[in-house]
Amino acid sequence: MAGYLEISPLGLAVENILFTAAAVAYLVATAGYLTYVFGLKKFGPLAAYLLRFSFLLHTAFLVTRTVNAGRLPLVGHFEFGNVFIWACVLFYLWGEWRLQGKDYSVGAFLTPLIVLYLGYLTVIPQLVEKINISRAHKPLQPVLQSNWLQVHVSASVLGYACFSLAFAVALMWLLKTWLKDKSFVRNLPEPQILEEYMYRASGLGFLFQSIMIITGAIWADTSWGRYWGWDPKEVWALITWFIFAVYLHARFTRGWRGLRTVLLVIVGWVAMVFTWVGVAWLLTGIHSFG
Amino acid sequence: MLKEKKGGARRELSAKPVGKILKFLSSMQLGIILLLLLAAISVLATLREHDAAIQSIYRSWWYLGVMAFTALNLLLCTVRRIKPLTRQALYPQKEQSAEAIAKMPVRETVVLAKSKPAEKVISLVANAFRRRGLKAEIITGAQGKIVFAQKDVCGYFGSLLTHTGLLIILLGAMYGALTGFERQGGGIVGDRISVPEGNFAIRIMDMWVEHEEDPTVRPRVYSDVSVTEGGREIAGGVIAINQPLRFGGNTIYHTTFRYVSEIAVRNTSTGETSMYRVWDRDYLPLEKDGIHIHFLAFFPNFITNEEGVPSSQNYLPENPVLAGILYDDKEKPQSHVYLALNEPVTFSVAGGELEVTLTGFQHAVVYTITRNLGRPILVAGALMFILGLYLSFFQQPRRFWAVYDQKQAAVLVGGRSYRSRFQLEQELLQLVNEITRREEEEHGRIS
Repeated sequence: MAGYLEISPLGLAVENILFTAAAVAYLVATAGYLTYVFGLKKFGPLAAYLLRFSFLLHTAFLVTRTVNAGRLPLVGHFEFGNVFIWACVLFYLWGEWRLQGKDYSVGAFLTPLIVLYLGYLTVIPQLVEKINISRAHKPLQPVLQSNWLQVHVSASVLGYACFSLAFAVALMWLLKTWLKDKSFVRNLPEPQILEEYMYRASGLGFLFQSIMIITGAIWADTSWGRYWGWDPKEVWALITWFIFAVYLHARFTRGWRGLRTVLLVIVGWVAMVFTWVGVAWLLTGIHSFG
Repeated sequence: MLKEKKGGARRELSAKPVGKILKFLSSMQLGIILLLLLAAISVLATLREHDAAIQSIYRSWWYLGVMAFTALNLLLCTVRRIKPLTRQALYPQKEQSAEAIAKMPVRETVVLAKSKPAEKVISLVANAFRRRGLKAEIITGAQGKIVFAQKDVCGYFGSLLTHTGLLIILLGAMYGALTGFERQGGGIVGDRISVPEGNFAIRIMDMWVEHEEDPTVRPRVYSDVSVTEGGREIAGGVIAINQPLRFGGNTIYHTTFRYVSEIAVRNTSTGETSMYRVWDRDYLPLEKDGIHIHFLAFFPNFITNEEGVPSSQNYLPENPVLAGILYDDKEKPQSHVYLALNEPVTFSVAGGELEVTLTGFQHAVVYTITRNLGRPILVAGALMFILGLYLSFFQQPRRFWAVYDQKQAAVLVGGRSYRSRFQLEQELLQLVNEITRREEEEHGRIS
C-alpha cells in the first residue's frame, strides 16, 4: 500500500499478538494492584510480578515493531504512546524495586492510568471519528531522518512518564487526605512520603522535559533554520515546563506543601496530556508526523 | 554588638524604596507570578490562529515585557543568591556544640553498650560516615572532638547554574537576533544567489534527488554549493534537509524544493518559438495584456481521481504534468490547463494560434540563509542549564555532625540538608545503623 512500509504477515501477526497480550496483562496487573490497595495485601507481590510480565511482553512488542519498521518506534501517536506507556512502567518498576516490596500502592494508581492511555490508543479512535490513530508502519519523512529524533522523543517520553507518575501520586495524596476514614486509604503511604515521591518524579520529569525542549530547539535549528517557531506543540511543552517550574520553585524556595503543590502537579499533568493529545486533534502545527 | 549594627544597617537599606523595589524584583513570589502569567498567556495564544498569535501576542510589547521582567527577576534572584550559596557551600560551620546538634531538625542518639574512650568512638563514627560515602573529618572544638561529614556539595550550585544557564541562553538569543539576519533564496543548478546582508554569494553547482524506498514519501534533494566573498570561495559543500552548511556564524538550510518547468511557446502561423522557465505558481502571458496561464502545481506522476481532482501518485517523475488555469484578458478563469511532457496544447489568441509545450523540468531548491553569532553562547547556556538541573535534582547536599557524650555513653548525630529532609532522615537512619553495627562488632571482638 502506498505510503506504508511492507511488513511480513508473520512479523505483523507477532506484533499484534504481543501488543494485545501486553494490554491484557496490564489490565490484569491493574486488577491485582487495586485488590492490594483494597485490603488484600498478598496481592501486592502478585500484581508486581504481573506488571513485570506485562512489561516484558510490551518490551517484546516494541522490539518486534522496531524490527518490522526498521527503525525505533518513536513516530506517530501509536508508537509514541506505546513507548510512553512503557517508560511509565519502567520508572514505576524502578521505584518499586527501590522500595524492596514494602509498598505497592502507587501501582494501584499508575496502572489504571496506563489502562487509560492504552484505551486512548485503541478504544477511543473507534468511538471518536476525529481521532485517527493509525497502527500502520510508515516510513520516516526526510525531516525525521535525524539522530536528534531519538534524543528528542526519548527525552519527551521519559519526561511524560515521570509526570504521569507524579500525577498518580498526587491523586493518592488527595484520597489520603480527603478520605482519611475509609479503610482502603489506610493502606496508602503517609502524605509526606507521597509528597516526596511526587517531588522526585516531577524533578526528574522536569529535567527530561528541559532536555526535550533544548534538543527540539537544536534539531529545529538544524532542520528548519530556527530554534523556536511558536508552534502549538512547542508552546504547550513550554506551558507544561512553566507549571512544573512553578511547582518545583514553590516547594523548594517558598516551602509550599500539601494541596497547593498537589494541584500544581495535577494542572501540570493536564497540560502535558493536552500537549500530547489536545494539540494533535484540536490545534494545527508543524509537529504533525502521523 | 557589631552584628546587631550590621543587621540594623541591612534592615535600613531594605526599608529604603530602592531596596524594597530590588527585593520585590528579585523575589520568588514575583518569579512564580510571572511564570504563571506566561503560562496563562501562552494557553490563550495557542487558541488563536498561529500567524495571528505570533503578530498580536508573541511579538507584542507587553508579552516581550513580561518575558523581560521574568529575565530581570531571574537575573536579580541569581545575583542575590551567589554570595549566600557560595558561603553555604564552601564555608560550612564545621564545629557545632552538642546543644546545637540536639536542636537540629533531624537527629538521633546512639547509646553504646558501654562507655568507651572518646577518641575511639569518634574514630568509629567517622569511619561509619565514610563507609556511607560521606566525606568525614574530625574537628577539635571547644567542647571536644566532633565528627563533621558532608556529601554532594556541588548540589548547592545546581539552581545557580540552572538560572545562569537560562540567562546565558537569553543573552545568546538576544546577541544572535541583534547581530544576525534571516532571508530566503533559491534556484536551479547554475544559479547564483546574492546575500548582501552577509556580503557573500551562493552558487548552486549541482543538485540531485534521492527517492525513498516508498516513493510517496517526499524525496531528499541534495544541492552542492560554493559560497564566495569578493570572488574568493569561503565555503562549500552539500546541503540537504537536516544537513545545513555552516560557516563563520552563517548557516544555509535546505528549506524545501520546488519544480521549475521549461515551456516552449510556438506561434503556429509564423513558426516563431519562445522559451520560458516557469516555477509552479508563476504566470505565463500568451499575449500582451490578454490571455495568460496561471500555473498552480507541478505533478511529477500525474493522476486524477473519479471526481477529476488532480494529484500526484508519488514523487517519481513518470508522468510529469504542469497544471494551471487559463485566464482571459478580464482575469476571468476560462479552463484548466494540463501540460504533459512534450505534448503541445493549442490556444487561440488574437494573432492566431499558440502551441504551448512542456519540454522539460528540473528541481529547484529553496534555502533559508541566516547569520546567528549567538549560537555558541546558546549551546554553552543550554549545557550549563542541563548540568544545573542535574545537580539540583541528583546531588542533594547534606551535612552531619556527631559528638560523643562519654558519661552517657551516647553518640548524638544531627543533620541538615539543602533540599530533601526526607532523604536526610533516611540517610541518618542508615548512619545510625552503621554506627550501631560497627560498635556491636567491636564490642563483640573485645568481649
